[in-house]
Amino acid sequence: MSGQSMSVGPGRMGAILLVAPALLMIGFLFVYPFGYSVVSAFTDNGEGSWHIANFTKAIEFYSKDILFTIVIVSLSTVVIGVLAVAIAGYLTLGENPTAVAVLKWLYRWPLFIPFIVSAQLMRTFLAKNGMMNNILTSSGIIEPLAAQSYLDWRGIVITFVWKQTPFVALLVAGAMASIDRTTIDAGRIFGASRLRILIELVVPQIATTLMVGLILSYVVMLSVLSVPLMINAQSPTMLTVDMAWRINSYGDYGVANALGIMSYLFTGVVAWFYLRQSLKDKGA
Amino acid sequence: MTLKSVLTGAISSAVIAVALPASAETQLNVMTGGSQNMVEYVTDYLGPLFEEKYPGVKVRVTGTGPGDAGSQKILEKLEAQSAAGKEQWDIDVIVAAQKKTGEMKEKGLLADFRNNIETGKLVTRATAENALGVYVGGYVMPMFHSQTAIAYNPALVPNPPESYDELRAWVEKYPKQFGYNGIKNGMSGVAFVTGWMYTYAGDTKTLQSGPYDPAKKDTWAQAYADLKAFNENVTFTPGNAGTLDMLNRGEIVMGPVWVDMFYSWQGDGRIPPNLKLKLIAPGMPGQPYYYATPAKAANKDLAEKFIELATSPAVQAEGIVNRFNWYPGIDADHVKAALDEEVWTKLFTDVTPLELAQKGKPFPIGPYFDDIKEGYEKQVSN
Repeated sequence: MSGQSMSVGPGRMGAILLVAPALLMIGFLFVYPFGYSVVSAFTDNGEGSWHIANFTKAIEFYSKDILFTIVIVSLSTVVIGVLAVAIAGYLTLGENPTAVAVLKWLYRWPLFIPFIVSAQLMRTFLAKNGMMNNILTSSGIIEPLAAQSYLDWRGIVITFVWKQTPFVALLVAGAMASIDRTTIDAGRIFGASRLRILIELVVPQIATTLMVGLILSYVVMLSVLSVPLMINAQSPTMLTVDMAWRINSYGDYGVANALGIMSYLFTGVVAWFYLRQSLKDKGA
Repeated sequence: MTLKSVLTGAISSAVIAVALPASAETQLNVMTGGSQNMVEYVTDYLGPLFEEKYPGVKVRVTGTGPGDAGSQKILEKLEAQSAAGKEQWDIDVIVAAQKKTGEMKEKGLLADFRNNIETGKLVTRATAENALGVYVGGYVMPMFHSQTAIAYNPALVPNPPESYDELRAWVEKYPKQFGYNGIKNGMSGVAFVTGWMYTYAGDTKTLQSGPYDPAKKDTWAQAYADLKAFNENVTFTPGNAGTLDMLNRGEIVMGPVWVDMFYSWQGDGRIPPNLKLKLIAPGMPGQPYYYATPAKAANKDLAEKFIELATSPAVQAEGIVNRFNWYPGIDADHVKAALDEEVWTKLFTDVTPLELAQKGKPFPIGPYFDDIKEGYEKQVSN
């Protein structure tokens, strides 16, 4: 659309009308509640003077959980990145057509399973006397006494990775399929191994897509309540559990919202990278 | 056929399907907190019974989930309708946990109805008047009482601990064999911690009936420090059901559970038949669930009829005791008469009525309850 047509009345009106529904939705369902929770976090549930007591209490009570959340989500993001590149890399560079076809068919499955179902699956799979350990002991790989429960922080990471890797792999595989094959062929001609081609030629070309996929996964994982609630019975636990707990047990929206604001900040940092990247892409 | 005509057809038939029964019948909306068994109690037993007695009425039940979280959702819904200034609220009967029902009464969301129903005279327990420090007399009818106790496997633990002191010694001897669900994953863990505080924080009477003194929590540091040390040798389980699951898989041999859940699971074959219960000294808490009706329920009369039926001796005997293994909400003597001796004794196999009277405690009053939980978060888990 040229600058001229923008200034013409009906066209402009039309543009505003087109944008309005989306804008209203964001206004009512995001901006208004967001403002409300900010006010609540800095006051006594929206009343009285401004203070930061909710934040000091949140840190006093949940400092370990805050750290735990960042570590778990970051670790999961890194593992997802490595696995997604490995899967997409094999789909792009693999030489055994059967293996590629099977992998292509298999890897997307977790994409269609909701988090809460994944958590329930893992709860029976990763338990001390659960399916995984039963298989390992009956096939003689581990001693029955050595079996241990993975229903702790490892369970959360495993569930997150299992659930989110396909999403990132799907994006990355798409990007890898569309890069210029001649760069890969050039690498092969000069005798580079497939691993080296993947790391030095392919990954740099799809880095933006990989980062976008990882950022979206990071944000999603930060917001999941069911997985830590169902899998990690111990403390420390993730912030979503603490938020639900503050509201359900004490009716305390102030501290819950303070924890929420902290989550916003964690996502805000990566969202900033995301926006900067997408602006750069548009500029280029 | 175009997509549009298909959609229009589907939508209009859906509208007809929803609208028709509403015009033919009155709908009684029941909203229940608690686990899935609470919903099943109404859908499978109480609802059909009521519909049979009052033709033309359809009972629709919504479950909001276990613990205070589930009852909090009911509170929020009523509060929203009250704040919106609605004259008729769309919930007729609520089933909620103790603390949140007290809060609802304090916020003026409930109706004073007990004197309007016949069965109102049959309640005797203190919890029918007092919900964790809030006076609720007239506003609630106890649906049932439930109790927590320690479940154990007698094949592996022939002589289970009799008290919290003995349990501490046992856990040191057999680390990681005792499991509970902390305080954020269901009430059986909260009950275990409450029992611990009753044992080691002192002055149980004030905790249970007040008056509230905010400085009291500062004297609990040693009790929490001991609990933190105790937790070192404990396995954490993911929830009330999680404890039973782990007992079933043999991953732990002992843990606190709700008595009714324990018997129901045993009845369904989901835990081994040989597992037993022990109510340890000086005692562990239990709680009632309440029936109540909102202050502006649309079908007030029907709601009262529903609660009357639900708290009649026959229904309490068959539904509450026989089918769902809860202790009755109304006075036990009225219920006992309507039951086989055998069913009655089954309820008291492991925990005798005397033990229940001596070691079945209420939860603390609201503000102390919050202090206990916050203290645990601050001094034990963080």
